[in-house]
Amino acid sequence: MRGRAGRIWKKYTGGSKMAAAGCAILALWIILAIAVPLFGPWSWSEQNAEIRNQTSSLAHWFGTDRFGRDLFARVWYGAGLSLFIGIVSALINGGIGVMYGAVCGYAGGKTDMLLMRAADIISSIPSMLYVILITLVMGAGAGSIILGLCVAGWISMARIVRGEIIRLKEADYACAARMEGIPPLRILVRHLLPNAAGPILVNLIFLVPQAVFTEAFLSFLGVGIAAPAASLGTIIQEARSQMILYPYQMIWPLLVLCVMILALNMIGTAVEEKTGGRRGWSE
Amino acid sequence: MTAVCREGTMRRAGEERMLRYTLKRMLIGVLSLIVLATVTFFLVRIMPGSPFQQGGVSSQVVEAVEEEYGLNEPIFTQYLNYMGGLLKGDFGISYQDPSTEVAEVIKRAWPVTASVGIAALAVSVLLGTGLGILRAVSEKRAVREIISGAGMLAAGIPTFAAAILLLLLFSVRLKWLPASGLLSPAHYILPVTALALYPAAVISRLTSNALSAEMGKAYYLFARAKGLGKWRAVFTHALKNAYLPVLNYVGPASASLLTGSFVIESIFTIPGLGREFVGSITNRDYTLILGLTVFMGAVVIAVNLATDLLCAWLSPETGRAYKKADGRQRK
Amino acid sequence: MERMSLLEVERLNVKYRTEQGVRHVLRDVSFTVEKGEIAGIVGESGSGKTTAMLAVMGLLGQDASVGCEKLALDGKRPVPGQSAAMVFQDSLSCLNPSVRIGRQIAETVKIRRKCSRSEAEQRAEELLDMVGISDPHRRMRQYPSELSGGMRQRVVIAIALACEPDLIIADEPTTALDAAVQSQILLLLKRIVKETGTSLLLVSHDLGVTAALCKTVYVLHEGTVVESGNAEEIFYAPRHGYTRALLTRAGKIHQKSAEAHGKEPVQEEERRAEGEPLVRAERITKEYGAGEGLCGLSLEIAQGETLALVGESGSGKTTFAKILSGVMEADGGALFYRGECLNRNLRKSGTGRKIQMVFQDPYSALNPCLTVGEALLEAARGPRRTETESRVEEMLEMVGMSGGDARRYPADFSGGQRQRIGIARALITEPELLICDEAAASLDAEAKEQILALLEEIKERRKISCLFISHDIGLVRRISDRVAVIYGGYVVETGRTKEICSDPWHPYTKQLLEAVLEPDPLRASKIRAVPLRESGGKDTGCPFAGRCGYALDCCRRENPETYVFGDREIACFLYSEKHSGKRADGYRMMSQI
Repeated sequence: MRGRAGRIWKKYTGGSKMAAAGCAILALWIILAIAVPLFGPWSWSEQNAEIRNQTSSLAHWFGTDRFGRDLFARVWYGAGLSLFIGIVSALINGGIGVMYGAVCGYAGGKTDMLLMRAADIISSIPSMLYVILITLVMGAGAGSIILGLCVAGWISMARIVRGEIIRLKEADYACAARMEGIPPLRILVRHLLPNAAGPILVNLIFLVPQAVFTEAFLSFLGVGIAAPAASLGTIIQEARSQMILYPYQMIWPLLVLCVMILALNMIGTAVEEKTGGRRGWSE
Repeated sequence: MTAVCREGTMRRAGEERMLRYTLKRMLIGVLSLIVLATVTFFLVRIMPGSPFQQGGVSSQVVEAVEEEYGLNEPIFTQYLNYMGGLLKGDFGISYQDPSTEVAEVIKRAWPVTASVGIAALAVSVLLGTGLGILRAVSEKRAVREIISGAGMLAAGIPTFAAAILLLLLFSVRLKWLPASGLLSPAHYILPVTALALYPAAVISRLTSNALSAEMGKAYYLFARAKGLGKWRAVFTHALKNAYLPVLNYVGPASASLLTGSFVIESIFTIPGLGREFVGSITNRDYTLILGLTVFMGAVVIAVNLATDLLCAWLSPETGRAYKKADGRQRK
Repeated sequence: MERMSLLEVERLNVKYRTEQGVRHVLRDVSFTVEKGEIAGIVGESGSGKTTAMLAVMGLLGQDASVGCEKLALDGKRPVPGQSAAMVFQDSLSCLNPSVRIGRQIAETVKIRRKCSRSEAEQRAEELLDMVGISDPHRRMRQYPSELSGGMRQRVVIAIALACEPDLIIADEPTTALDAAVQSQILLLLKRIVKETGTSLLLVSHDLGVTAALCKTVYVLHEGTVVESGNAEEIFYAPRHGYTRALLTRAGKIHQKSAEAHGKEPVQEEERRAEGEPLVRAERITKEYGAGEGLCGLSLEIAQGETLALVGESGSGKTTFAKILSGVMEADGGALFYRGECLNRNLRKSGTGRKIQMVFQDPYSALNPCLTVGEALLEAARGPRRTETESRVEEMLEMVGMSGGDARRYPADFSGGQRQRIGIARALITEPELLICDEAAASLDAEAKEQILALLEEIKERRKISCLFISHDIGLVRRISDRVAVIYGGYVVETGRTKEICSDPWHPYTKQLLEAVLEPDPLRASKIRAVPLRESGGKDTGCPFAGRCGYALDCCRRENPETYVFGDREIACFLYSEKHSGKRADGYRMMSQI
């Protein structure tokens, strides 16, 4: 089992140090995000008027915010929520994108044209608009933000998969499969998609930081997660009003967010370089 | 002379194809815009609550106002009226402030947004391309690593985070640069830098990857073999072919820069489209939301169309033949 | 005092640093080229030929380390574009696709002569004229993709000449070209050496090409020079075992093996008696790419026979293979399989599986994500999901692989082995017709020989029909019963292989046969130029008229019909009643050329 995992690791990252470092950081972040709110001495939501706006100390490593909440606990809780939203929406978007792109690419012709134009239109509506709509209908929360991210988040994946399928379906082995009388769906699943695994994986990895990005940005504008729950974006937003007096309240969550995105980008870049899958950190 | 004539006919066939492609793409663009306006119209209409139901306004007043705005008519009639208005360039009147037309808001805010956007676009394209070329061509490992490292850092910082950090450092701590507004060229520096950082990182990476790939191709080697220096071979031969994927990114990216960044405009208090949009949403100003969305959609669609046409024009016949050659080489 | 050679390379070593460690590509390679001489380096792919040439030019990448005792061109280091120029193999990929021809030549002239732009352009036109391109003024403004392969290679040569070098290195200059165009390019190179006095270093895997031009020959094998000497010594009295093996293989490929010779192909009468042929194509048309389409191609393949489809690249061979195999749809015409119209429904009902194909490129013919066993099983099962794994092993053993190979991935095998697996994949569905599309073309001589032997054995044992597509008439002569010669998308001549090869009737067939270069300096050096004019892409008239030395007036006006003489069919006006006169019943048609 270990040998197989090792082989896959080698195949998709080329054993690069960058990927290993990225994974290590990410693992650390996940552990902290789970352990700190669970086992830490401070609650992420409990307000304490006596310790408002404290700077970093031994008791409160990241200090406290204006309601006297421990920032260390709060930041890691927020990081966990951001990462959760990022990973879940990346998986959903990845799934939709792969299916949509595969259908477009394999069908070709008019079907392809119509479906891709529809995708174009969806992607040209500002994401804020439907996130707000969804939060209005469903109420603010992680669920509606994930739904909001999934309205248009799959389009980049669909475009890439479509391109790959169009390229691969002309390959000789795909022609051979058609000559063998293998039905289209099976050709797609067994012969074409596995060969597009590299670009799909690269894009899937990059979907996570993109979703974290967008979530943070929406929360920052105040249309994301509702209080008292907090993602990194909302914590940064909360600190904004006192930015000049207490910059550390903003800098800590920013730092945690940037390192998280950096780690994800490192893994993605390593896989991209190894598999030759295109499209790095672009929209 | 006859040679010129014969060539003329050949070119004409290409031009005709190009024209047909252009027309087709424009038609699709217009259709997309209509669909976009329709979808947004109904999306906005299903938003719960009327904009006038805030505070202790009596229901009679609300009805009166709704009648004034034509909100009591069947939704389909409202839709037709709105679309008819759009055709004449009439985006309707703001719900919040009946004295201003949506078109006026756009007219006021867009030039501000566009000026910041164009500056950011120019900075990111120049910086990104330059660093990308340097990374692909440089023989020094250190140079290559530094550029890729910096690129990865720049791509890891969300735009709003970059904006806040820049603001804290340069205008709060060091007090070198102004923090808000757009009064002088100095005011542009921070927002433009914050906006340009991420696209510059992406462009440098795309440029360097595409250029490295081109430099591995036979025609680059051949150009070197016929006596062209490294830089000259890159600039006269490889760059032109490498730039297509970059353009494909720059197009959509410039569209988003031109329609304004909500965050940057709100952090640096720039009176642009993005800020109007955020404001319109918090105020539930339906006509303004709708008008701004349609306008931004039009800009996005127009810029994407221009990119596609530019790409097609840059690779007239060669694009196709080139892909074929590439495929053959892959063996 | 001994005269100094123009190019002297002594003990050239090249190592590549890779992730797996250091790879020694060239070991102590030494060679010299005299002034005004054509020297040749022969070696199979992977022998390090191209690396050696790039090392001489100083153009190897950063991960290569070059060491040598002496590398001097006229006493100095070779300067690319000044004292040395290079002609590459694939003219399409070595010309920049997005820059006009004229600029690509003129910029070279400008660097070399440091002259103004208009002077450079004038010189570029002269150069185009010199390499035999008509209407150079118009060509200057075209993009590489608008020219034919032969013309592009001429442009590449023109660029090399623009450098006014002392030495031109030509790396496989004709490999991507067809036989007829190949001889023109070789003659051009010969003429240039004579007229300009430059030296030429010709690198090739093709012994025939080397024999046709070179005075001195170096044989390169796995990074070392195993034998060198003048052409006669190398070709008539090779001393090293490797050279001898190369020569025997080159000779053998072009001869039908003895036992196959003794056996007569399926008799014409027999074939007719059986009634319907296995496959009948009627007037198939297809618009596809630039000149790769089909215009009214008709042919028949009988049960159990091997029909060879011969023609140059771009003549529509592969297009026909794709249509026959069902990968592509024809625009017009009809295909019949055992008398039934071969449409989508018939293919779906299982007849599609009766036609299988062996592809040209063994690297793209196998799905890299499936093990060999999985791929074969997938093929054996097809739409049903019942087949067991027993036949996979049987099939692999039949093509000379072991049953254990089933668990490995295609990436673990060499090109020749992959081609065997590709054949096994095609045969496991038990086809009645096997299409081999240039199945051996991309392999080196040894693997090619083995694949041919395997195909012969399969033909013998399984009695399946075979459509063997090739541009190499030598291979065709060995493997096929009948030949159909295709030009410009339709069949110009069909007949028994032996008759066509010994007595070609159609002028194009004759050209094809004459252009074959044998590894024999005396015979190969007598290559003749084939008249070549631009066929202006007219819709009417014989497509070959532009290149035909026998073209009549009517050839340019109307399309010839197909005339049948026994088992020979030919589409040429020379054989029409109008031109060869009224014939009596007992008249026997003879070759008119």
